[in-house]
Amino acid sequence: MTYYLVIFAAGFAGSFHCIGMCGGFACALGHDPRGRTATVERHLLYNLGRLTTYCFLGGLAGALGAVWCTSQGMAVPLLNGPLDTAQRVLAIAAGLLMIALALQFFGLLQGLHRATIGYGGSTLAASLRNLQKSQSRAAPVAFGVFNGFLPCPLVYAFAAQAASTAGALPGLLVMLSFGLGTFPAMLMMGGVGRVLAPAWRQRGVWLAGSFILLLGLITLGRGILPFAAHVGHAWAIGPSG
Amino acid sequence: MTERGDHLCSHCSLPIGLRAMQRTVNGEDCAFCCYGCCIAFQVKHGKGEEWEAAWLLIRLGVGAFFSMNIMLISLLLYAGTFSGPDAWLIPWIHLLLWIFATPALIILGEPYLRDTWAHALQGRVTSSALVVLGVGAAYAYSIFATIERSEQVYFDTATMVLLLFTIGSYIEAAARAKTARDLEPLLAAESECATVVDEGIETRRPARDIGAGMLVRVRPGERVPVDGVVVEGSSHTDEAVITGESRQVAKGAGSAVIAGSINLDGPLLIESSGAGSATRWAQICRSVRDALSCRSPIQRIADRVVGVSVPVVLTLGALTVAYWAQSMPFDRALLIGLAVLVVACPCAVGLAAPLATSLGIGRLSRCGCLVRDPSALETLARTRLIAFDKTGTLTSGRSRIVGIESEGAGIDEVLARAAGLERHSEHGLARAITMAATARGLEAVATSDIRAMPGRGIRGIAEGQPVAAGNSALMSDLGWPLAPALGRRARSLEASGHSVIYVGWGGQVHAALALDDTPLPEARSTIEALHSLGLRVALLSGDLAPAAERVANVVGIDDMQAGLPPEAKRAALDQYRQHYEVVAMVGDGLNDGPVLAAADVGIAVGSATDLARETASLVLPKDGLWMLPWVIAVARAVRKTIVTNLMWAFGYNLVALTLAALGMLQPVLAAAIMASSSLLLVVNSLRLSRLPDPAPLGIPERPPSLEPDSVRRGLGVPVMAGSAIERG
Repeated sequence: MTYYLVIFAAGFAGSFHCIGMCGGFACALGHDPRGRTATVERHLLYNLGRLTTYCFLGGLAGALGAVWCTSQGMAVPLLNGPLDTAQRVLAIAAGLLMIALALQFFGLLQGLHRATIGYGGSTLAASLRNLQKSQSRAAPVAFGVFNGFLPCPLVYAFAAQAASTAGALPGLLVMLSFGLGTFPAMLMMGGVGRVLAPAWRQRGVWLAGSFILLLGLITLGRGILPFAAHVGHAWAIGPSG
Repeated sequence: MTERGDHLCSHCSLPIGLRAMQRTVNGEDCAFCCYGCCIAFQVKHGKGEEWEAAWLLIRLGVGAFFSMNIMLISLLLYAGTFSGPDAWLIPWIHLLLWIFATPALIILGEPYLRDTWAHALQGRVTSSALVVLGVGAAYAYSIFATIERSEQVYFDTATMVLLLFTIGSYIEAAARAKTARDLEPLLAAESECATVVDEGIETRRPARDIGAGMLVRVRPGERVPVDGVVVEGSSHTDEAVITGESRQVAKGAGSAVIAGSINLDGPLLIESSGAGSATRWAQICRSVRDALSCRSPIQRIADRVVGVSVPVVLTLGALTVAYWAQSMPFDRALLIGLAVLVVACPCAVGLAAPLATSLGIGRLSRCGCLVRDPSALETLARTRLIAFDKTGTLTSGRSRIVGIESEGAGIDEVLARAAGLERHSEHGLARAITMAATARGLEAVATSDIRAMPGRGIRGIAEGQPVAAGNSALMSDLGWPLAPALGRRARSLEASGHSVIYVGWGGQVHAALALDDTPLPEARSTIEALHSLGLRVALLSGDLAPAAERVANVVGIDDMQAGLPPEAKRAALDQYRQHYEVVAMVGDGLNDGPVLAAADVGIAVGSATDLARETASLVLPKDGLWMLPWVIAVARAVRKTIVTNLMWAFGYNLVALTLAALGMLQPVLAAAIMASSSLLLVVNSLRLSRLPDPAPLGIPERPPSLEPDSVRRGLGVPVMAGSAIERG
């Protein structure tokens, strides 16, 4: 359980990063003329759409991780048992990816930043712009779904973490925790529309970077260290229990 | 309403064919070649609150919402999360999936169902039928399985296949719109609006409604809508669409501007010199539109394959299910059949050729090269021999008279009579004669009953007696004698490679005019570039051997045939064709129309005649000979792209179909590969738009062509005042 709480916390801290980009969308979604309840409903639907996309990505990443592990000769991924080679490779890859993305939050590796943000974003953003104007009740869901697919280093980092769990359910839960972690800030942005001071946002981004760095190091450690009984073991108990 | 709606997709400008979708966007009728283009166009252009695009995106988003939830739950099912003590949950989860899948299927599947239904009413089966049938079967079976409480349901497969197909076609259409970007200026002429100034009041009117004498204001960044003369203002224009050379041309009051050029930096007030629908630009636009809606031979084959493949695939799917049902549970067999249907969707095959061809046509026309027939590109790429006409093609076509030998007549009389005839001809040599007469201040003798004798010359009646100008063949046809001394001098001129025109009247040859035609400065480098592309180059000239030989030597052509009348040129082409299979002919499009039409690819350089009557299938801009190697390189790139596209599309379909029929491909995976296959094709084709611009082949910079033609030609005439003329 601790594991998911950490990810929830990372998502919460990371949502200060979200405010920069997705927060703008949440603001743009704005108030519903039909009153406060309708506005809250609108934003809940939007966040539900976003959460669905995250969970989908997490479940898919976890399932792909599982497929990778089983195709390497293990029938069932055993996260609390000793790790086999395939899982080690997966953990190393995911850990490295997370560390790289975390460094990006500290302003390092700018090239990677452009690579992760640039590709395919424009078509998606055009779709989003068009959905904002629609008054339909279903529009926020669609908006949230597309929003979830926007290129975002935070999402990539946790999708990598989800893949390293090598299971559909733990992968889903990773992204669910992360997505729920982003809820407070995003709901606040949409519902209340109060903008945090830039200094706080910067601190939040650094905090998120630290969390991701930590998770990345632990994941990497799971792949490299000879026994699974270190820190990584304690974390790894979470997903299966 | 618009002609555009009939033939070309409003979004990607590809030919629509049989699977048109009609929609109204912003009050205009639009037609789309596929559902993806329909979404992408509306997302890009839809305006106002009530437009359909938001609705399309909402559908896509909400459909994705349901599908992703279904997929998530299914992933957990597959992962065995609900095994053991939780197994009692499974039927309820199946029910939940059913509840999620039904709206998803309705939302995402409706366009496919509608398309299938519309075509079924017309007795056709299209590729949407494959999707509808496959997805419908998976859904129906899953309902049955849910009620029967079976182990497996396939709601995830049904919805994900639909979702991937829809998203795939949307992304592909968005990428494909880049084809239209190159073509847009060329398709815009008919719908272009112009700001007409009438007594100080500015009104926006369609360019086609503009008549001669109207005043038109063109702001910087706008395209000049009509041919005309600048009345007010100064600016620079870019005439690349017409001339092929992207370069700033200064314009001030009194300068002529051409329709289609872009006004770069200052406002201009232009007085129209003709109808807006009669400009070369408008002609080019019509020609490009016609070309785009034509189908090349490869395309026709591909279309036939697509047409046949749907029933074949349906049969194959049914056979697959029947075969596998013998050895495994029916649901597994059904799934394999679904994979077959999904994977064999022939979208990519239908897209392979038109996409590459449109990109090629767009790329060429942006530089002023017009393709009038898409198959010309394919043929040109296969061409192994290019035959050139000489005059006006390899040479400037602006011959100058360098000598006049006469017998029993003065120079002025000879020139005045010859000019009377030749002013009725468009031939390059004829112009030289009329220019020479004008330069000497002579009045051309009024001549009637003009008859042009192709490959020989021209004849008529002046002052009551027959008069003729042309080669020696014409004179001997007429039976007019040639004084021996004159004949001797004329032959020696011919031997030195000059073109000689005999002028005769009253039953006798009176003079021989020696003309010299200089090869174009870029001719040699162009021929060298063609050689380096591995092409044979030949010269087919109607002139006498020495003149043709001289030009051939200068430009570096070793295969030369001279003294050919038009029909002999056609015979020569036929002969070449036996050796080289595909031959192209380059001419000036004026005198060699039939020959250009007889070649596999006729290429006209700077045709001045009406494009609609043009016989060449490829038209280069005026002074555009240097672009020929580039055009051939583009044609080859287009052909290569088509071939790789088709190989990929067919190869992919065959491999994937085999895998699917063997049961080795999950339907969802098949749909993902299917969608990415079309996208890969688009990416492969889009490389064409990144081909480099034509680069002048190290020839000296041309003098700026700002001055009117008459001034430039006039400069050449004083040469004839030299000693050679006075010998007569």
